[in-house]
Amino acid sequence: MNFLERQLEDKVRFARIKRLFYVVLGVIAVAEIVLPLVFEGEEHHFGFEGFPAWGSLYGLISCVAIIVVSKLIGKAWLMRRENYYDS
Amino acid sequence: MTLEWVHPGLLLILGAWLLVFLKGPIKRIAMLVLPGAALVDCLLMSPGTYGAVTFMGQDLVLGRVDSLSLVFSYIFSLMAFVGMVYALHVKDDFQHVSALIYVGGALGVTFAGDFLSLYLFWELMAISSVLLVWLRREPSAVAAGFRYLLMHIVGGLVLLAGIVVHWSQTGSLAFEDMGVFSGGLAWTLILVAFLLNAAVPPLGAWLPDAYPEATVTGAVFMTAFTTKSAVYVLIRGFAGTELLIWLGGAMAVYGVVYAVLENDARRLLAYHIISQVGYMVCGVGVGTALAINGATAHAFAHILYKALLFMGAGAVIQMTGVRKLSEMGGLYKTMPITLGLYMIGAFAISAVPLFSGFVSKSMVISAAGEEHLTTIFLMLTLASAGTFLHTGLKLPYYMFFAKDSGLRPKEAPTNMLVAMGLAALGCVLIGVLPGLLYAHLPNPVDFIPYTLTHVMSTLGMLGFTALGFFLLLKHLDPEPKVSLDTDWFYRRPSLRLVSLVQGPLARLEYGFVGEIYERLVRGPVLGVANLFRKLDSLVVDSAIVGVGRSTQSLSQVLKTMENGQVQYYGLIMAAGILALLALAVFFS
Repeated sequence: MNFLERQLEDKVRFARIKRLFYVVLGVIAVAEIVLPLVFEGEEHHFGFEGFPAWGSLYGLISCVAIIVVSKLIGKAWLMRRENYYDS
Repeated sequence: MTLEWVHPGLLLILGAWLLVFLKGPIKRIAMLVLPGAALVDCLLMSPGTYGAVTFMGQDLVLGRVDSLSLVFSYIFSLMAFVGMVYALHVKDDFQHVSALIYVGGALGVTFAGDFLSLYLFWELMAISSVLLVWLRREPSAVAAGFRYLLMHIVGGLVLLAGIVVHWSQTGSLAFEDMGVFSGGLAWTLILVAFLLNAAVPPLGAWLPDAYPEATVTGAVFMTAFTTKSAVYVLIRGFAGTELLIWLGGAMAVYGVVYAVLENDARRLLAYHIISQVGYMVCGVGVGTALAINGATAHAFAHILYKALLFMGAGAVIQMTGVRKLSEMGGLYKTMPITLGLYMIGAFAISAVPLFSGFVSKSMVISAAGEEHLTTIFLMLTLASAGTFLHTGLKLPYYMFFAKDSGLRPKEAPTNMLVAMGLAALGCVLIGVLPGLLYAHLPNPVDFIPYTLTHVMSTLGMLGFTALGFFLLLKHLDPEPKVSLDTDWFYRRPSLRLVSLVQGPLARLEYGFVGEIYERLVRGPVLGVANLFRKLDSLVVDSAIVGVGRSTQSLSQVLKTMENGQVQYYGLIMAAGILALLALAVFFS
């Protein structure tokens, strides 16, 4: 049993990792809003980059958009059975 | 060729054949010494023009050494070394020979100062790389290899046509910036050929078709050289071509969309090559000093991390014999080192701070920002999220974690792990000390990747991409399906063609065309032939027979005169002489 196995197989430890993940996400999002106010941030190329927690927000939107749109295109059009080219 | 300059490409192309004659540990040493020597050769070079030769009245330059060709030559020969370490255990000489010739071709393209030598090395790359697919020796690999070769032969012919047109219009074969010929026929043909090798859609379906079919070690080489040498020639000839901005942006997103649908581990990574090369193509299109630096730096970083990812996936495929994500899972228990090294590559491609992708990709995105290309900026950023989603989360999740597949493979062989370790070291080194890479870029660099805003927004983007992944995990399960790509246009019709030929067309040929042929062609031809035969026997034969008969009867007559008695002949001669004398007297 290696280190990773001990962390992932144990329900208590796994729940702790999950909580830690959400805490880190919260800290990042807050830091992204607060830090540019405290320190003088460098100039943005676009106005929307100044939106609070722009990176976090756009990351989440991108991720969901990619999964949903790709799956829709795949189901409606692109995905075929595995032996499509063999018969 | 001058003695003070040795062409590293020719060194590999010729030196590769040594491996066939060597055995045991000496062979393995030679496998490392050859790319090592090429790397040292490149590192010792100073800018200038070398290897100028005149061939059939044309000035060829085999060695254009400047900051741009040098940085590409460093990474190409370094990658050759890493790839050979990874392939050290393989007992198939021809794979090693093909791989080294392939690298030699890429170095030849990099240093070529004229179109003719560029073309020769270009074709050499196509031929040597297809062997890396065929040498897997599976029916599916052979078929994929033929499709790969088909596309690259078409691309090579388009390139040759472009070169011929360019030469006939300008009288020069020199390979310089093509901007002044923009929109012309030669410009278009050469650009199309370059875009095909860069795997730009719709010309890029050969890449995810062929790379997953290559040998485990061959695929590692293939990820590095074809697309990146195409990026190099695009920088050299087509920097600032606006079309490339949009093609690159579309490419970055296209690869990400297909990666969602993909189930084959290496095909998923192959689609992410297309996505990553999209950033480079986009950078070439933007064409500013920062963008060109970005494209070059990203090519450099990309070769290392993408090879690392392919090495990781290859190690898993080799140890499990399974290539589909839906059949893997739970491998972290027995392959933790492979997992750890793979994750370094995954962090590098995802542009996590302190890894190489962060310091190179951001140059391209910033260059797009500086030019106020809003849509491109958003597309490239979205593709970044998609890259982390697939390469950093989906693939490792389904490969190493997810539901336990019950597979308990051993850790990969030491040489594979060492090769992955070398590539991982490169990824971290460039990420932590970007100055090492920036010092070799073609333009002076005043770009600072580690700013507070940039680091924070990147961390936010990656973190919340991970959140989205875990929230939508149920919908991401890889499905045992194939996805249509532009290779449909030459795969499906050829399939239909075969069944058409075997079914209705064969019956049509036998029943209908055959009958028509019988009546229209075979009958008349036989009739005419018969006529000629009769003519032959009636006229020609009887003429010859007649001549023979008359000769025979004449000789029957003559025979009676030839009785063999000398006095009789003498009498005839005397009679003749008398007759001649009489004639002479009579006419005088």
